Formats: sequence, C-alpha cells, structure tokens
Amino acid sequence: MKYDVLIVGSGPAGSVTARFAAEGGAKVLVIERRQEIGVPVLCGEGISRKIDEWNMIEGTRWIAGKMDGARIYSPDKTCVTIAAEQAGNETGYVIYRDIFDQELARLAIKAGAEYRLNTKAIEIIKEGGKIKGVKAESFDEELEIQCDIVVAADGVDSKVAQWAGINTRLNPKDLETCCQYTLENIDVKDAYCEFYLGKEIAPGGYVWVFPKGKGIANVGIGILASLSESGMAKELLDKFIENDSRLRKGNPIRFLAGAVPVSNPAEETVRDNIILVGDAARHVDPITGGGLTLCLEGGKIAGETIAEAVKRKEFSKEFLSKYEEKWKEAFGQKIKRNYILKEILLDIDDKTFNTIASSLKDVKFDEISTYGLVKEIAKKHPTLMMRLLPLLKYRKKLKEIKKE
Amino acid sequence: MGKPKAKVDRKKCLACCGCISVCPQDAISWIGNKAHVDSKKCISCAICIRTCPIGAISGDA
Repeated sequence: MKYDVLIVGSGPAGSVTARFAAEGGAKVLVIERRQEIGVPVLCGEGISRKIDEWNMIEGTRWIAGKMDGARIYSPDKTCVTIAAEQAGNETGYVIYRDIFDQELARLAIKAGAEYRLNTKAIEIIKEGGKIKGVKAESFDEELEIQCDIVVAADGVDSKVAQWAGINTRLNPKDLETCCQYTLENIDVKDAYCEFYLGKEIAPGGYVWVFPKGKGIANVGIGILASLSESGMAKELLDKFIENDSRLRKGNPIRFLAGAVPVSNPAEETVRDNIILVGDAARHVDPITGGGLTLCLEGGKIAGETIAEAVKRKEFSKEFLSKYEEKWKEAFGQKIKRNYILKEILLDIDDKTFNTIASSLKDVKFDEISTYGLVKEIAKKHPTLMMRLLPLLKYRKKLKEIKKE
Repeated sequence: MGKPKAKVDRKKCLACCGCISVCPQDAISWIGNKAHVDSKKCISCAICIRTCPIGAISGDA
C-alpha cells in the first residue's frame, strides 16, 4: 500500500489536513483506531463563531444551538455577563461533535481522501533512519502503509510523534483532566454558555454548562492534573450538579472522560517526513481549553503545505517548516500569551476573583475575548497589572508581527 | 516491597488517554480500547492515578 500522505487520526485536525492535501492533488489515506468517526465524543462541544467565515464546513446539521453570550461565575457566584452581539469569539455555537467530525471527513473524502476505520498505528517504518510509512493493525490483519509524509493527528497522547523521536509527554500542570455529562430534562432555558470558577469548584480549571436546546446541556469539569487526586474530577462534577437546583433533576444521556493539553505549543511540529497537527501539536488555547478553531486553522495550513511538498517531491524538515512558520504566525503567539496568562490566573485566590467579578458585573462586554476581559481587569485593579506585566512583551511581539 | 505499580480497572476506564499523556515513562498505551500499564516500565510515581478523572487507576497491591 503506497500513499503520498498517511494521516493517523480522524479528528478535526486530521480530516482538515486530509481535505486540503487531497484538494491539492496528494494521494491521502486517513486511519482511525476507533470504529466510528467522531465517536465517542470527547469534547465540551463549544466553538467560536469565527468558523462562519472560514468555509470549512457545510450546512447546519452539526449545530445544536447558537449562543447569545456567556456568563462567568466567580467562586461566590457573582456573575459577569458577556453578550455576543458582535462576535462570539470563544463561545459561538454549541455543536454535535460527532456530526461535526463526520462532516469534515465527508469533505475530505469528497476531495479524494480515503479512510480506514478500526485501524490502529502500531509503529513507524524507518529505512536508514528515514520515515517510510506506518505499520498498522486493521481488524485482524497487519498492514504496511508506505508514504512520503506521516501526519500525527493522533491526539493529546500522540504515540506517532513519540515514535518519530519527538517528546510529547505533558507535565501534569499542563493537562486538564475532564469529565462531562450530557443531561436531559434540566432547567437551562436561555442560550448562554456558563463558566464556574473557584478552587473548591474546579481547581485549576472550571465547570461548564453548555446548553444544547430542548432542556439538554453538556455539564462538564476540567481540573489541572497537577492539582487532581484520583477520581476528583468526577466527584467535584457530581457535587456541583447536586448543588444546582436546575441540574439536579437531570438525567444523563451521555458520560465521557477527556484530557486537554493546556501547554505551550509543541516546540517541534515537523521533522523529515512527519508533521504534527491538532492536540498532538498542542494547538489548544491554554485558558479556555478550546482547540477546535486552532486545529482547523492549523490543519488547513498543514494540508496546503503537504500538497505543495508532494508536487515538488520535497519532504525534508526544511520544506515542511513552512507549516510551522505559518501556524506560529497565525496563532502561535496567542497560545504562548494565553499560557502566561493561565499561569498568572492560577496564582489568583478565590477572594481576589470575587472582588474582580464584583467590579466587572455591571460592565457591558459586547465581545467575548479572554484578552479583552483581562484588559478590563487591569483597568479596574492596577495592582494586578504588576502580575500581568509578562504579557506586555507578547503584545509588543504581536504588534510587530501585524506590522510585517 | 516497593511502592505499588499502577493498574487500570478495565471495567471503569473510559479511554480518555489523560494517563497516557502524562506518564513520564511512556508505560501506558491504548490496548483494546482501554488504557494499559506496562508494569515493567512503571516506576510507581502515581501521576496517572492522580490524573484519572474517574478513579479508574489504582496501586496494584
């Protein structure tokens, strides 16, 4: 079996890479270890409305609800409301991730990519130190898939990257450990995404309530692995639901566990004959834990770079570095800046959060952006400015990039 | 007697792969839709036990 490109993993990053590589003329195979694309759903299912402008997905079948805004609750339940009149930067839609992933795969297939399910990569094939393909188990047979480029789209626990010699181990302080119920028959009426903060509620993370309409919502929790104990995420989530009269009477129609990288982006996302995309490349906003838009943006860049590489028969690290340069330009600085912000936020105690929320509760935000929120905090609390100083250097860098 | 090695309860594990991502020894892999600890590689650091959101990993007595 010989392809130009073999993509391991059929999540959004893998499928978007597949689509743009195939559209550019490459012969693409995507392998997926599970038996259905997008299943089980491992996601809070919120996505920015930015996706409207990108033309990367068709129709509306993947949308569960369009959000009117977000509410952020401080530990003492003071609410900061953000209406998404202009833009739902962080929370635009709540989606059906299984349908979403399958739609992206459909578009990749339409562009000419092939998919194989139930097919698990087990090792990288090398010849004279050079990556030549991947060995995989598909049902009961072993496959040797030859290719010029391997794409590690195999998620937060990427083994493909590791086999290629790229260290992808995460420090526990850079991983959110999560679980989520989809609850039915609850009293969540309006289309607002809710976020609950507090060391007792979710250490190093937050609880979310994302409404999906018809009295259904995703109610989930992410806590920092370095602050977690065995089973703590589920225990805290159960406690939260028990203490919320709207949610208590709900019945779960789905339960899931998940893991989200909240680290700096991977230092190394290309080597000769290999590219890392999506969670494997840590293309996730370390503040919100949201990765969908970054994975789509990165996947497109990866696919286009690969198509060009195949045309020119250039598979070296130097050539593939175009992908790395471009994703860094598109969102690399944003991830790094938000990582610093994450570290600062971790140091802020519950009492300070309450004070901040109480001073912001009457501010009218018309745009949901974590950075906008921080600017407002800095205005109201000059002492906190000192802690935010490390961010300034990133603002300068961002400006320089924009100028170029 | 050394410290207990990590062991995954296959009935509980939901294969979220968090443990695999944080294991410093690359001792955990995805086998048969569940996480699996290679006890030869495990150094009993308990990072995976603390990371598991649903308490599916414990020390093997």
